[in-house]
Amino acid sequence: MVVARGGYGFATMIIPIRALRAGDEGRIDIGPIVSALSAHYMVVIASRQLVRRVRLDTFDRRLRRAGLTLEHQRTASGERVVVGRSDPVPTLVAPAKDLQWPAHADVLPAGPVREAIAGVAGIRALMVVSDEKRRMSLLELDNKDAKTVVRVELDEPVSAGAGPACLTVLTLRGYDEHGRRAERILIGLGLRAVEADEGRETVAGPPKLRVDRAVPASVLLTSALRDFSATMLTNLPGLLDDVDTEFLHDFRVAVRRTRSTLKLGRAALPEVMRTRWEPEFKWLGDLTTPVRDLDVYELALPTMEGWLMAADAADLEPLSRFLRRRRTSERRSLVRGLRSARFRRLVMEWEEQLTRLAETPEGTDGEHMSAARLADRSLSLAYRRVLRGGADISDDSPAEDLHRLRRRCKELRYALEVFAPVVDKGSRKRAVAQLKGLQDVLGRFQDTEVHRQALRGFAGELIVEGAPAEAMLAMGELIGHLDSDQDRARREFEGAFANFTRPSSQRLMHQIGGGR
Amino acid sequence: MKVFATYNIKGGVGKTSTAVNLAYLAAREGRRTLLWDLDPQAAATYMFRVRPRVKGGGHALVTRRRPIEAALKATDFDNLDLLPADFSYRNMDLDLDDTKKRTRRLGQLLHSVADDYDVVFLDCPPSISLVSENVMHAADTLLVPLIPATLSLRTFDQLTRFVADSAGPRPDVVAFFSMADRRKRLHRDVIEAIPRDHAHTRVAETVIPALSIIEQMAERRTPVPVFAPNNRATRCYEQLWAEVRPS
Repeated sequence: MVVARGGYGFATMIIPIRALRAGDEGRIDIGPIVSALSAHYMVVIASRQLVRRVRLDTFDRRLRRAGLTLEHQRTASGERVVVGRSDPVPTLVAPAKDLQWPAHADVLPAGPVREAIAGVAGIRALMVVSDEKRRMSLLELDNKDAKTVVRVELDEPVSAGAGPACLTVLTLRGYDEHGRRAERILIGLGLRAVEADEGRETVAGPPKLRVDRAVPASVLLTSALRDFSATMLTNLPGLLDDVDTEFLHDFRVAVRRTRSTLKLGRAALPEVMRTRWEPEFKWLGDLTTPVRDLDVYELALPTMEGWLMAADAADLEPLSRFLRRRRTSERRSLVRGLRSARFRRLVMEWEEQLTRLAETPEGTDGEHMSAARLADRSLSLAYRRVLRGGADISDDSPAEDLHRLRRRCKELRYALEVFAPVVDKGSRKRAVAQLKGLQDVLGRFQDTEVHRQALRGFAGELIVEGAPAEAMLAMGELIGHLDSDQDRARREFEGAFANFTRPSSQRLMHQIGGGR
Repeated sequence: MKVFATYNIKGGVGKTSTAVNLAYLAAREGRRTLLWDLDPQAAATYMFRVRPRVKGGGHALVTRRRPIEAALKATDFDNLDLLPADFSYRNMDLDLDDTKKRTRRLGQLLHSVADDYDVVFLDCPPSISLVSENVMHAADTLLVPLIPATLSLRTFDQLTRFVADSAGPRPDVVAFFSMADRRKRLHRDVIEAIPRDHAHTRVAETVIPALSIIEQMAERRTPVPVFAPNNRATRCYEQLWAEVRPS
């Protein structure tokens, strides 16, 4: 028996057990399916409607990596968000209203859906990965009490070229045997089961470069510079649209890596890299600094609010408003810079430069310096600079000295990354892990220093603006907390540096070329 | 996980209707909801068209011979599961009496599904028993439907004493009038009097009226908001849920 039932959305609190497709990947005819199932169940056509399915994920595919899917589904009768998981647990569904993308997870309806997504997405915005109109039909298979015991969802493309039709058997909790039975019936009609990862979007990083240690260093450097350039361009639209703070962050990291690579590769790259491109990328880095700094303060505010003992979190509201205002103004300058003729020229001519470099690998002395030789030289130089800088640090060293050492550590880290293809993988990983310990301590020291100085500067400006005394007192508390954090980091420095310079670490650096 | 129990010593006061409708409304909001029909009469189970049977009966559940997850049934509604009633629940007092921590066992059983649900409703049988004591420990909020009549209020006094005398953490008690007929003077008088007479008890502002549409639930075997979304009864249950739901 077949009954039509209208007005009710499609299934949730269900575990999709198996998706099925037509043997020839073509359309699926619902008629024979209904008639086969009707021999065992009362088949109810619960809904048949057009659904706009907007698949969402963060730019770096955090949901996908965590085995989650998030869909914003819109029909004539309403909207909802659906969270699916790769493991067999029930799908989460919540009604939604007027959601616009991109947006952060906090726009999702409060409750389990938001809880499932927010922790994974973190500070990244949710963006549209795909947007498709599909025709969804939901069949409910009822028992003799008119209780639905299994659901079958038919998902069909509306336009040519879209994904093939797909039929999914949705098992209801406590009625598993009916799900299996329905699946058997459908497979008996010639449908084939879809493998779990079939058609699933893959998230692959750039292909790993394999180079011989004897290849010209410029080949290795060009490959790294191309990767960084691609990262910059990939993040540019999100940065310009201000989708989330991480586009700018990732863009800046790529710029910084480009600058370090140019510096590390001076001996193997043409002179134009030093004379033209180093200043150009410095300009680009400087252009992005003010907004990133303000992002860092804004992102840190919730944590800082937790530090307050005497003051109230609300006392920091004038600071928060000030940061937002300042950021809006700085962002205008940033966007102007990124839409300027200079930036457009930089992008275009940098690409041409890299192409030329790839076609005619050359060295400054007319000979090809091998990648291995440059790696040994750069790692050795960078390592010795860290050793020298660290040895000069005493309890009374000014903050600038620790900051300089932090920059040297970063250069060594970038060298380890850039020359990874010609360095033993295991040794390199261990060296990075040891360097990371030192970098963490120096990072904490420098961040607290920068935050303290910035808060002092902001306080001066807020006083001029007539901010209330409560805001000043609260900021004073924050500076006090940062002071003690910085003291702690300074005390930890000695141990971290001793750990980095212990004999086993030195042997390790020697193995990978840094100790020569 | 927030646990609500619809409870009253008296029967026929609207416990099951309240549990079924509020559970549906909680699920409709996207909250993962479980309704445990503890009443061997199985009215809530019937409303969701589920067979009133738990493999191994209440004994298997209480003694943990059968995990609670294995007895769960999906309803026809988004986010709403049911732990069905079983006729053997009539002996649940005896089953509980044989366990360690006999007044806390139901709470312990619910703890095992705490990660799976945001809201749990316990539809309780009308009695004062060991099951009731368990409910006192397991529930965060006791929802007490009251028919606005003198005898109902007397029973309510018994109930509040029972809750006050129970050991350990006690649930919040939220009473509300159910099956109220404002055409009756007695009903009007009792509704107006209770906030004065029970100053220490929270009484919900929402009054669930006596409407035939609520009685039709048993015939249609579905929650009121599904088959009468614009009816006054639906609005009343929505208001009641808005008053008591977790923030």
